[in-house]
Amino acid sequence: MNVLKVSKWTIAAFVLPALLLYACLVFVPIIVSLYSGLLDWNGIGTSKFVGLGNFTKLFFSDPVFWPSVRRTLVLALLSMGIQIPFALFVAILINRYIKRPNFLVSSYFLPVILSVVIIGQLWKTIYNPSAMGGMLNQILEGLQLQGWTRAWLTDPKVATYALYFVALWQYLGYHVLIQFTGIRNIPSEIYEAAKLDGAEGFKADYHITFPMIIPIFKISVVLAFIGSLQSFDLVMVMTAGGPAHATDVISTHMYHMSFLSLKYGYGSAIAAFLVVFCLLATLVINLMFNRIEKRYS
Amino acid sequence: MRKWRKIAGPVLATVLAVSLAACGGGGKNGSNGTDTASNSSSNSNPASGDTGSASASESGKENITITFQNIYPDPTDPKYQMLRKIVGQYESDHPNIKIELDSLNTDQQKLKLKTQAASKEVPDITVVNPSAQMKPFVDAGLFAPLNEMVEKNGLKGTFQEGILDYYTFDGNLYALPDGNNIAIVYYNKQLFEKAGVKVPTTFEEMVEVVKQLKAKKIQPMAIGEKDTWTGSFLFMNVLLRTNGGPGFLKDVLGGKKTFEDPAFTEAVDAFQNLVQAGAFQEGATSFDYNAGENLFKTGKAAMYFMGSWATGGIETSSVNGNIGVFKFPTVSGKGNPDEFMLAPGSAFAVSKDSKHLQETLDFLNYYMLNYPKEAFAVKGAVGVAQKVDGDFKAAGYSDMAMEVLNLFKGVKGGDLAFDNTMNPGTAQIHLSSIQNLFVTKVPAADVAKEHQKAFEDNKE
Repeated sequence: MNVLKVSKWTIAAFVLPALLLYACLVFVPIIVSLYSGLLDWNGIGTSKFVGLGNFTKLFFSDPVFWPSVRRTLVLALLSMGIQIPFALFVAILINRYIKRPNFLVSSYFLPVILSVVIIGQLWKTIYNPSAMGGMLNQILEGLQLQGWTRAWLTDPKVATYALYFVALWQYLGYHVLIQFTGIRNIPSEIYEAAKLDGAEGFKADYHITFPMIIPIFKISVVLAFIGSLQSFDLVMVMTAGGPAHATDVISTHMYHMSFLSLKYGYGSAIAAFLVVFCLLATLVINLMFNRIEKRYS
Repeated sequence: MRKWRKIAGPVLATVLAVSLAACGGGGKNGSNGTDTASNSSSNSNPASGDTGSASASESGKENITITFQNIYPDPTDPKYQMLRKIVGQYESDHPNIKIELDSLNTDQQKLKLKTQAASKEVPDITVVNPSAQMKPFVDAGLFAPLNEMVEKNGLKGTFQEGILDYYTFDGNLYALPDGNNIAIVYYNKQLFEKAGVKVPTTFEEMVEVVKQLKAKKIQPMAIGEKDTWTGSFLFMNVLLRTNGGPGFLKDVLGGKKTFEDPAFTEAVDAFQNLVQAGAFQEGATSFDYNAGENLFKTGKAAMYFMGSWATGGIETSSVNGNIGVFKFPTVSGKGNPDEFMLAPGSAFAVSKDSKHLQETLDFLNYYMLNYPKEAFAVKGAVGVAQKVDGDFKAAGYSDMAMEVLNLFKGVKGGDLAFDNTMNPGTAQIHLSSIQNLFVTKVPAADVAKEHQKAFEDNKE
């Protein structure tokens, strides 16, 4: 195994810096925030140890917490259930029908490289009431669909969905790119062989493309899931969790608690929940994909 | 040779590891780079003082750096230049003192100070907000009392009467404000004329005016309710009236009243009347402060309820010359229009652990003494917390500014904003509860209950 012909100590010594850096920047803060989650602390003055008090309050008597968890999860599920399959579909179509796909793929990718703040402001103007020049409502009025117009970002019933849409739209290109690359890497001989056996078009996709890109698909799913759980910036820019917590997600709730309500300990408890939740979710997704991969290999 | 290599490898790697780890540790604790940077620069002071001590035997003074955190990062803001002018003057008078400016916008500064406070690394001079908002910092013992400093050079006498009370805790003054504002209603005379309406003298008339403007397809009022304090500020003014005078929140804090008091529910009902009449622009809760104000400044809305600090911005906008102001009217005959929502401004506090406490205090004393004069010169003297000498009219202040200054003269007390009176936990629930009124109609009793519960949950 010792291909490098150096002692284990040398290897350890060279790994050490990165490991220490990683530990300091990732594990230590996580542990510190787990500990702060047990404190009644405003972040400035003296703290009081309250054990699991913050967590019981969080789970049993916080009216904002569970709805924000639900909204976060719905976003994650939408992202995995609609955005990624759709991205795969687009990637397959591009791969099959477009001769020089680079321009198209780059165009899909464009929103990803734009700052979230710009995206947020852009869509805020699109969602505006028509009196303020909101494009969406003006189009609806132009189509004689006055009944469909809404105050998209301020009607508590639709505001979350308006946000979901932007989040899904922005990262669609990201997943298109990932999966497009995955499809490109499938050797064309396989398709040619399949063609001889009578499998073409979507039939070939079902039997060849899909099984072959499962590892890539998995990356997409994990990224989408974690990304959705951590969504923060877009919500802050567009609604800041308002009106009256109607669009709060876990991370914005955490921000409000830690920095605006000055309940740093309580905010840390939410952060701890988020970390554990992310880890568990990644674990579950990995297990799921291992099973799927086994079935196809 | 081979052996040498065998040893050198791990040794080198360890050196690398240690140096990198040191970086990692620093980054973790400081959590914002400038923080550690400013810290290390102040740490290096004694060092530079030492190297300077050779030459210091001539001048007899050590070199000193004072970190001055402030909220004027915008070069187009007249106060940006003014701040640098005073600082520059002081530096040239005291060659051994360097003032390092840490200019941030308001929200950034609030966050940064909280992070710094958590690690007890408060800059020499920082910015805080009055009363309940600065109390956690004072309780944590982060600030130096300014009682003696404010007596020097007659600085105390330059402040308006009573203003320093908002920054005083247990007889100790902890911060010096740069502003003192009141809440007023700005209105666009042209749009009022177009709709044929007059300045309302009661709240009921105001609701009527809203309806008439609405009928003429004019947006009655503008508000940036995404920021939540804006709506609360207006609501609190309604409460100031329905309570028949100031002190409602103090009575709640003192246990004399609850949020279920009729004064509170009446205020909620009145406020909802205004909202339901269609006073505010559609989608108000997604407009931030600037976007809301811009509606008024571009002549797209007829009225704007805001603190008098908005005067300067409106003066430099396209509607300048068309704007008048009026006092917030009585609500169902209650209250006195001469009582205002008061907004004692952000204030400068000095870190107790400052390495050069005396020099910092001296500088702040100088800064505050010169502030009114310089602010007057850049036309920023409307709403300064100190007495300003000078003829505003002759200095070219606009008619609107003169109107605002006249209102100041008639102030007979009032209330502070909700988040300056209640603790942050209660305040946040209040803010989102009021924001909710912009999108849903809620029975006043429910709003009252929500407030009372928040208040009891967050009691210390």
